[in-house]
Order: sequence, then C-alpha cells, then structure tokens
Amino acid sequence: MTDLQYVRPVRTRPLAKDARPVVSLKGLTKRFGKVVANDAITLDVYPGRIKALLGENGAGKSTMMSMLAGRYKPDEGTIEVDGRPVRFNSSKDAIQAGIGMVYQHFMLVDSMTVAENVLLGQEGSFFVSPREMEHRVGELAERYGLNIKPGERICDLSMGERQLVEILKLLYRESRILIFDEPTAVLTPEETRNLFEALWRMTEQGKSIIFISHKLEEVIALADEIAILRRGRIEGELDPESIESKADLASRMVGKEVLLEVDRQPAEIGDTVLEVRNLTGLGLTEVDLDVRRGEVVALVGVAGNGQKALVEAVTGLTKPPLDTVFIMGQPWRKFFAESTWNRSMCYIPEDRLGLATLPNQNLVDNLLLTTRKGFAKGLWLDKKKAAKHTVRLIEKFDIRPGRIHALAWQLSGGNLQKAVLARELYREPKLIVAEQPTQGLDVSATEEVWKRLLEARSMAGVLLVTGDLNEALQLADRIAVIYRGRILDVLDNTDKDTFRKIGPLMAGIVD
Amino acid sequence: MWEFLIPLFAATVQSGTPILYATLGEMLTEKGGVLNLGVEGMMALAALAAFWTSLVTGSPWLGFVAGGCAGMLLASLHAFVCISCLGNQVVSGLALTILGGGLTHFLGVPYVGLAAPGFDPFDFPLLSQIPGVGEIFFKHDMLVYLSFIIPFLFWFFFRRTSLGLHVAATGEMPAAAAAVGLKPIRLRYFAVIAGGFLVGLGGAYLSLAYTHLWTNGLSGGRGWIAVALVIFAFWRPGRAVAGAYLFGGVMAFQLRLQAAGTHLPSSLLLMLPYLLTILVLILSAWRGRRIDAPAALGTNIEPEG
Repeated sequence: MTDLQYVRPVRTRPLAKDARPVVSLKGLTKRFGKVVANDAITLDVYPGRIKALLGENGAGKSTMMSMLAGRYKPDEGTIEVDGRPVRFNSSKDAIQAGIGMVYQHFMLVDSMTVAENVLLGQEGSFFVSPREMEHRVGELAERYGLNIKPGERICDLSMGERQLVEILKLLYRESRILIFDEPTAVLTPEETRNLFEALWRMTEQGKSIIFISHKLEEVIALADEIAILRRGRIEGELDPESIESKADLASRMVGKEVLLEVDRQPAEIGDTVLEVRNLTGLGLTEVDLDVRRGEVVALVGVAGNGQKALVEAVTGLTKPPLDTVFIMGQPWRKFFAESTWNRSMCYIPEDRLGLATLPNQNLVDNLLLTTRKGFAKGLWLDKKKAAKHTVRLIEKFDIRPGRIHALAWQLSGGNLQKAVLARELYREPKLIVAEQPTQGLDVSATEEVWKRLLEARSMAGVLLVTGDLNEALQLADRIAVIYRGRILDVLDNTDKDTFRKIGPLMAGIVD
Repeated sequence: MWEFLIPLFAATVQSGTPILYATLGEMLTEKGGVLNLGVEGMMALAALAAFWTSLVTGSPWLGFVAGGCAGMLLASLHAFVCISCLGNQVVSGLALTILGGGLTHFLGVPYVGLAAPGFDPFDFPLLSQIPGVGEIFFKHDMLVYLSFIIPFLFWFFFRRTSLGLHVAATGEMPAAAAAVGLKPIRLRYFAVIAGGFLVGLGGAYLSLAYTHLWTNGLSGGRGWIAVALVIFAFWRPGRAVAGAYLFGGVMAFQLRLQAAGTHLPSSLLLMLPYLLTILVLILSAWRGRRIDAPAALGTNIEPEG
C-alpha cells in the first residue's frame, strides 16, 4: 500500500458564522426488514465544503447516500434542500434538486467519446456536431481544472479519467452537491491525489462534496468536517485537524460500547491448524500468524489494510509465495492438492450471496456446493440423501423459510448466513475462516452465529476477520491488528488493556 | 476484358442493392442492442407485400413503401417479444424467419408467374455519360440510386443527431442511457422497427426491380448474408457498402458462370459469403482487434428492482 501524498491547499477552513446548510438531513431512518440501516440521521452539508462520511462496511453509509440521491425513500425523517423539505421519487428528482452521485460502478458508454458521454441526453438540439460538443465539454473541464481530453473514447481511459467523466456529467447538470461513494477504491495513489485536487477546486467554486470512505488518511487529508457513521447512527462529527484523534477516529469508527455479550468459556487448545510464516507479497509484509484448535483468533483493522489478501491466500483463492502458509501442518500447495471435502478447511465469506451461495439455486443444491463429495456414489450424486440432510440442518439451525426448495436469494441475510454456517460446519472443519460473519445481521442472528462459532472451537481453530471490534472482543482469544499489510501486534484478549490498545494500533500508531 | 467486366460490375451493383438495404436495416437494429435473425423472413414477406400492392394499385412506389411496412410489421413482433416480454432474441429471430418464409410461400401461391409494375432502369442524367463509372453505377433503376444515399444518412444519423447517439448508447449500455434520463425501451423499439423498414425495402427491391415477376424463394438467402455482413462490416455503414457489393458481385459472378456452362456448382459459390464472414471473424480475433459490436447486443433490458 502506497502512502497518500496529498497536501491540502488550506490548513483549515473555519465555517462562516452565517453559513446556511445547502442540504440538511433531519432524523432520517431507513429499515430493511428487521435491520435498521439508518437510525435517525441528522446531518448538515454546507456550500463550498467537503464533508467526509467515515464508517466501516455495512455502517449504513451507502443507504444514507442512496436516500439523498433519490434511490431509496426514507421511512422517517426529511431531507431539506436550501431549507425547504423535498421528496425524491427517483434519482432524476435528486439531480433536478442539484444532488448528484458518482457511484463506484461507472455508468459510461465505452465506445463513445468523453464529450458524448457527458452530454448524453443533454445535447440541446436534434442535430449535433462532435466538434462543438467537445468544445463545450472542454470548456467545462477547464473551468474546474479537470485534465481530460473531450475527444477521447472512454475505453481508452484509465479508471481515474473515467471518474472525471462521471464528475463532468454531474457538473454539466449543475449539481451543487456531489456525492462520492468510495471514489478512491479504483484509483492509483497518483490518481487519488489528482481527484483530491479536483475536489478542492470544485469547493472553491461553491460546490458541496460528500465523500464516503473508510480510509482514515484520506478523510483526514481531504475533509473539512468528518462525520462518523456506525451501525446506522452518526457517532459524532470531528475536526480533521486534531491529529491525535486519529486513533480515536479509528476506535469511534468501529465502536466500543458492548451491544451484545456472549458467555465465552475457554476451550481446550490443540494442534496448530493454520500457520502463516513471514508472508510478504500480495500487499502484505512479513505477516506471522498462527491459529490453534480450540481458539478464535480475530484479525481486526480498518477495511482495506490487507485483510482480503490474507484471507484469499489462506483460503486458496490466490497463491501465496512458497513456504509461507501452512494449513493443518501441510504446505499450502500440498494441502490444496490433497484437500478433502470434510475435516479440512472451510471458508465463510463476506459475500454471502455471491461467493458463498448460488442465488438462484435451492438449499439442497447450495448444500451440495461444498459437500457434494460427501453425497457421491461413484459417478452419481445422492440427492435424496442430500435433501434429507438439508431438512435436518434447517431444523437444527432454525433456517427460515424452512423449505428445502427455497432459493438462496429468497432468504434474509441472517437466515442465509445460518445456512452457510450449517453447510460449512457439516463438513466438520478443522480450520474455519470467517469473514465479517455478522455484518448486516440483526441481534438475534448475530448471537446465533457467535454461539455457533464458539461451539465450533471444540473441533476447529477459527480465524475471524472482522471490522466490528465488539465482535472481536466477544469471541476472540487473541486479537491481531493489521495495518497497511502488516500485523502490528497480536494482543491477548484476557488482558484488560487490550481494548485500549486496539484503537491506536488500527490507526497505525505503535508506542 | 472490359466488355466482360463492366456488365459484371453493373450486375454487381444491382444484385448488391437489396443486400445493402437489408444490411443497413439489420445494422440499425443491432446498433440499438437487439439482434434480429429474422431478416430472411422479413425480406420474403416484404417482397410479397410490395409485389401485391404494386399489382393492385399499379404504383410501384406504393409497393416499395408497402414492402418497408411489411418489414416493420414483423420487426414490431420481434420488438414486442424481445423488448417487452424479454424473450430470447435468437429464438424470436429464427421463428420470424420461418414465419415470414412460410407465410410468404402460402400467400404467394396465387401470384406465382404474374408480373406487376416495377422499377425500370433509366440513364441517370449526365452521370451515366461518364465512361465506365456511368455504365456501372448510373444505368439502373431509381431504387439503386436511392440506396446510394442511405449509407450517408445512416452515418449522419449516428454521428450528427442526438437521437442517433441515444440509440447507440442504448445498444452499448442501456443502464447508462437510463441513468441520464433516456428511455432505453422506446429507443430499442425505434431501432428495431426502423431497421425492419429498411430490411423491408430490401425485400421490396427483389420483387419490384430485380424481377418484376413473382416466384417462390425470391429472398434466396440474402437475409442471412445481410446478418453476416453486419459483422463483416464491424457495424460501420461504409464497410456495409463494400460488403454488400462484394457479395452482390459473388452472386452476379456465379450466375454468369452458370450461364457460361461451367460445372462449378452454384451452391458452392453461394457459400462464399459465409465462408468469408467466418474468415473475417477469425482474422479479427487473430489481430487482437476489438470487434466493434454494440456491447449490449443480444441482451435484454431487465426491469429494475
């Protein structure tokens, strides 16, 4: 991970006393079933300022912005633009009110030029001239200091340049409030710096910017104000100037109050099931980590600090360098060459509906996804037996709806996760890699998942990757903190000071 | 040598013209993101509609327009199935070919062997006096002259009108078009139906200018050549002209060969266009060239939510 080299042009920009918010969110609440994605959010955005919205994955950032951009309707609360309450029925309404959003996935026509994309639907006349269009867009780009050639085709542009095209689209439609959803995820550090410079120039022209991110450094480097969103609530607003609050920022982002407690009795410690030895590469540096049967080792950190790379290397999705990863005592290559369907490793991925299950298949087929070798009779698959076991698992894990013919996508997040857990535990694993296992789940489902993971310690070691500090503190015996691809420390959870130490470590501060 | 080549080239232009109309029609349809494999059936039915209208009204021009309308009619059916009902574009197109062909065969029975007023060749003023070029391009009927300007209109439509941009955007990325407030569904209907009209004109040419008689099997695989030509032309009107005349030339040439009494089977020669298309596809893949197909070609627009 490269360091962000961006120096903000002005150190501080105090908010003028008579400044009026251009957009106000007042008590905005949005629920999806039982899950409260946004809980009474109140937020003011001022003209000419950059408001950063900091929060972990699943904190409710995107939900909140989708309401502002007119994609979702709030269940409660109002949005005010220029002091007047508005109701958006579609993203078109929001654009008309001057609110535009740059999504993570670009909505651009690859084979068309920059100018054609920017002006699409806004040409102004039936007959158009490419030269005149390029001229118009070129002028607009120049006004905001965006470095882009309007005659180039999108397919020849880098990700950063494509993002500029999306920005130009909003600017052309005279959006006054521009929302950026994790805009740097696809950018190189250089492009990130260029983007930040462009954002600052836009604020100088009076535009308001809402910048959604979970990257601390970026937020501190860029924002005028930082709002922290956690579990659907605004946890507070901070001034980015106070550098010592970086650690505080990290721990406030991931939270500290105990929402849910489980009774965790220590289990008997057995053999080492996972050993990572001096792993460098894949964005990781000198990572050492081991997991033994009977313990939960949590890997915590702000998202995007190398967790994904480590999980992929351990679970076999990417190939780690030679002799760095050992599973159940065997080198990585040997383990995956000879791995069996049961009494082995299982992976509970973050992406439940994409990676863990097939959305359009029923529960039996989804059970078979990782266990089919257990139901094979020579060339044939014993589906009847699989169905029987599915029924049993549905009962045991209380999965609803309790029909084996229910399709994966029809299940709620909590039930789907229970189904994945049921399947993976059926394999009687010796190593469990669980990635954000309770993200987006309600309290009862979370409790259920936690209990199952703790129970599983009798047969397995658990590597728990989580952004939820409370989850780590509740479940883990040891907590490893990862920052920029390095494991800064592995803390013992029985130590009272552990909790206090995690925040600074997550922000990269080592005493 | 020239005594042989000039009439051959003139025949090339004539036999390339219906293919040109149909190719541009299919190209317009595909630019909007919809694949229509029903061209062969549409041309057949359009040829009959044009012939019948001309026979009844005595006006070949009305017949010509009627041919276009018959193409539009079948295209609307395809549009409804694919765009509104989210049906499979390949299946619907193939069904259209069989439907159009069968219907034409059935409805055309009473007219086999009859003649209807059609378009006759005339010398285009001045231009036909140019030696060589005049012989080849300007001693034809009105519909050939009309076909000369359509590629330019086609190019102009996609490069210089906002509607053209919108249609192209719909064929490339309907979601992006919808995101900026365009109506991809309507734009696709437009592309399919307008394309159907052009295909229909190609069919009408067969019964009104190429022959003035009604016979069965008039379309003779030209619809399939048009579908192949769209790929051959990389969705560009200029290359469609070149392709249409190339394959028109092959057709004219094999007729002459047969007349000259060679023993080369005509079916082997008729196969050439398809062989050429496959070659072009292989070559373009070899050179790593991006085939400029509309990105969303053949995919339906799923409703949101």
